[in-house]
Amino acid sequence: MSSKVYVTGIGIISAIGNNVAETLDSFNKMHSGVGTLEHIISRHQADTPVAEVKASNAELAVMAGFPKGHEDTRTALLGTIAAKEAVKSAGITDMKEFRTGIISATSVGGMGMTENLWMQYLDTEQSGPWLKFIESHECGDSTEAIADSLGIRDYLSTISTACSSSANSIMFGARMIKQGLLDRVVVGGVDSLSKFTINGFSTLMILSKEQCKPFDANRKGLNLGEGAGFIVIESEKAAKGKTIFCELTGYGNANDAYHQTASSPDGAGAYLAMEKAFNISGLKPADIDYINAHGTGTEINDLSEGTALDRMFDKKVPMISSTKAFTGHTLGACGGIEAVFSILAIKNNMVYPNLNLVTPMPELSFKPVTELKKDQKINNVLSNSFGFGGNTSALIFSRVKE
Amino acid sequence: MAAPNYITAYAKIRSGKVILNGETGYSANADEPAADFVKAAYKHYELNYPKFYKMDQLCRLAFVCSELLLRANKVTANYATEDIAIIVANNAASLEIDTEHQSTIADADNYFPSPAVFVYTLPNILIGEIAIRNSIKGENTFFIFDTFDPRFMNSYIHSMLNTGRAKCCIAGWVDFYENKYDAFLYTVEQTNNGLGIAHTEEQLNNLYK
Repeated sequence: MSSKVYVTGIGIISAIGNNVAETLDSFNKMHSGVGTLEHIISRHQADTPVAEVKASNAELAVMAGFPKGHEDTRTALLGTIAAKEAVKSAGITDMKEFRTGIISATSVGGMGMTENLWMQYLDTEQSGPWLKFIESHECGDSTEAIADSLGIRDYLSTISTACSSSANSIMFGARMIKQGLLDRVVVGGVDSLSKFTINGFSTLMILSKEQCKPFDANRKGLNLGEGAGFIVIESEKAAKGKTIFCELTGYGNANDAYHQTASSPDGAGAYLAMEKAFNISGLKPADIDYINAHGTGTEINDLSEGTALDRMFDKKVPMISSTKAFTGHTLGACGGIEAVFSILAIKNNMVYPNLNLVTPMPELSFKPVTELKKDQKINNVLSNSFGFGGNTSALIFSRVKE
Repeated sequence: MAAPNYITAYAKIRSGKVILNGETGYSANADEPAADFVKAAYKHYELNYPKFYKMDQLCRLAFVCSELLLRANKVTANYATEDIAIIVANNAASLEIDTEHQSTIADADNYFPSPAVFVYTLPNILIGEIAIRNSIKGENTFFIFDTFDPRFMNSYIHSMLNTGRAKCCIAGWVDFYENKYDAFLYTVEQTNNGLGIAHTEEQLNNLYK
């Protein structure tokens, strides 16, 4: 059993960089990753900006270290790249040294492969090498590919709870460490862009035709993104003597009980998730130095989340930003990607800007940070992730006291 | 020493019969089509919740069963909504509505998918409907099993209540597929606020039968 859960490694790939160093460079240059879709043929290509990882599948396979000719889903490739970076940054070389697991989150799984091949799958007259990809459709396939490439054998699970998936995988991993079931876990998630999500979100009429503007009074919806974010969390025993990024001190997940898809306007579920995270961490809202908001840029999310934050922080909301205008909304991966941002905020004492904000929302008491801020004292960061159906989650990362 | 926990009320809808705490209530011919029977039960008990008509058959069945269970034992009046869990399982997941949705997208020349149908193509939406109706915000999970599994349900719910994850649980089995339906929902509490049946695998087996 371990009463503490330490973060010892981080890995990331998104539209703003293929690793941690490139990501920080993009933040320093205020470079958004939102642009034109290149790697999928779509009727929405011209009018709907997305935040795509700037590499083809063949290029990603090289980055993932797969042998020449290896084919896999974009989801498995992105996940492997970020998870490998996280494991490397944690200095793990021997998977047998401790009981090690992986809990990966995804919402689309292998959909990107299926939508290219399904007509061939249905043609029973034909047989061929494409049939091996049928199994890659399900969400667990990418987790297995990542686990295989890392040599993780002790525990594997996949979580799919829409946009709170990754936050829930981090929470699940932390609970397994606290229960003494594992010593260290690679947690986070991955999603790749697909016609399914681009067309689906377009039908829901929540995709912005311009760069998204989270927490702006005139926000027009979200930009979809893709990528992966993984962190390595370890028990006190496993982390002993290692370089520690920070501690995961709090986590909470709640149910909004409002609507099958939409969040409640008063953010009841968001409030409950944050309250649970504070209860576990023993921290008070006043202890939080920075909030990495879910902030998708949709009408409903930003109002619901902002209202819950005003209530939770009694209208004294600390520095806050949504990084979705950099990375797009990466759906099942966003909690992992934003966990990495939260950890880097503590490590580098920095706060990221909420890009594209012009007019703050009149309904809210706070105005997000619009410039990159350095030399801040960032000890505790709250990271929110809210999913369809009112599945709301909150994580708190804290600097380890010297 | 684990706390004992009690089954405090139960409701069953099966074979043209509604059964509440062991007493048969509304009934019809066992061969009445499932959808008609569930709607007739909804009307008979004057449940009066217009969203019922938007729901798919699985959710309608779960809704009627949960309403009657909560009439017999109004746990929402006795517990904070964050302390009530909902744990339900079934066999057919949401196949009934999945098939209906598939029929609207199978033919490119006759393509008419509806978001109102699509939203029901996950079985845990039935938990959502019960939660939305009663503002229940506690722990919830939906399982898919071959048949009602009293051993698993018993141990899962014991563990949840005994570790403080919830103070009360609405649990059971709600299955609807190809005109076959079977609903069995019950409340489990740490104190005896009703029937006082010990929450054990054997008792769950007896009550479900």
